[in-house]
Amino acid sequence: MDPPSLVSQVPVPEMWQFPPVGVPPSGPRVGRMVPGPEVAAVGNRDASLDESTVTEQSGGSRGRRKRRDSASEDESSKLASTSSGNDLTDSEVKRLKVIKSTNETSNLKMEAEASSGICNKTMNQNPPPTEPAKQDYIHVRARRGQATDSHSLAERARREKISERMKILQDLVPGCNKVIGKASVLDEIINYIQALQRQVEFLSMKLEAVNSRINAGIEGFPTKDFGAQTYDTASSLAFSTQPAREYGQGSATEWLHMQVGGAFERVT
Amino acid sequence: MNRKHRTKNPNNNKLMLAFHFLRALARINKSTSTVSSYQRSCIIKRAAYASMAHAAGPRRAWSRALLYRLRRGSSRLHALPAIRRTRSFSHKRVKVASPKLREPNQADVLRRLVPGGEAMELSSLLKETAHYIQCLSAQVWLMQNVVGSITS
Repeated sequence: MDPPSLVSQVPVPEMWQFPPVGVPPSGPRVGRMVPGPEVAAVGNRDASLDESTVTEQSGGSRGRRKRRDSASEDESSKLASTSSGNDLTDSEVKRLKVIKSTNETSNLKMEAEASSGICNKTMNQNPPPTEPAKQDYIHVRARRGQATDSHSLAERARREKISERMKILQDLVPGCNKVIGKASVLDEIINYIQALQRQVEFLSMKLEAVNSRINAGIEGFPTKDFGAQTYDTASSLAFSTQPAREYGQGSATEWLHMQVGGAFERVT
Repeated sequence: MNRKHRTKNPNNNKLMLAFHFLRALARINKSTSTVSSYQRSCIIKRAAYASMAHAAGPRRAWSRALLYRLRRGSSRLHALPAIRRTRSFSHKRVKVASPKLREPNQADVLRRLVPGGEAMELSSLLKETAHYIQCLSAQVWLMQNVVGSITS
């Protein structure tokens, strides 16, 4: 393995174009789903049908689609649970069933994409939906035939969170998008981290070698290489100016100059 | 002042990383002239990790764990020694393997690689891993640039 060639292939500056991982644009909303307009409109059949077709087309944004689907599912399951106990007419019940069947198709597709197998298990268990889910703040799908007790809801939310973060990681690690399967994705991530750590080690060794060579050269020829500058200021400039210029951030760059200079004077 | 600048925007993270690392390099350049080259490279490596953790700030679990490890002075920082170590204590400690993950070994390997990830639950481990990868690649990029600017 040749570390410098490996990392020079890696598009490192582009990684920073991604939003900070702590606040992904769709990440922290896993727990509390704010009911959007589509949730309000989900009661009638056309809206949900539209939703399912739309979400089937948008293959790229899986997180969004999941959110939407689960919103509609939440609503439908709530309606179903109320209909079991309350005074809905037959036509309404039939309509609900149609909604749920359309949801089921899209859900099945989504389930095939999800790499965890527990969804199937809970669906096969087929317990009766006894209590409605707490739809106020937990955004978890509770499909027909799925367990709705708090444990499985929490488990489902956790799984969704994990897969979302796996997706973020897949975007971060180069060449990880083509890999299918959670295990191989994790393998890629592990390899990448190990490569980076070895790279840091190698670069520190290289830096040391380069540095000591420069030191030796300066000791041999004190003023020839760096003109009238002394060794200290020369080395600090060599460290500070070049990378700082590459950041290219206007006033921030000047601030770095100031900081490095001041710190250096303090050190000396 | 550093703290203020650190939390302002994500790009400043990189700037802080450069600042910490260069300052540490200047300090190393000043002080250690008698130690061997291997020791110096180890010192530089530590400085790299410490500046990375400082630039990431105290909110990240990995940066806290890394700083703690560095402060405690353990020489085995990363990859290969970490694997050796965990083989020794894997029988002592029973990890709570998530049932749906096919290979719990891989999550454990990841836990070992990310500092501070040993006791972490999988979702937060993945979050920390993402941030750690970002910072690590930025550090590599910075070091490459420093080496290039010195040699050229």
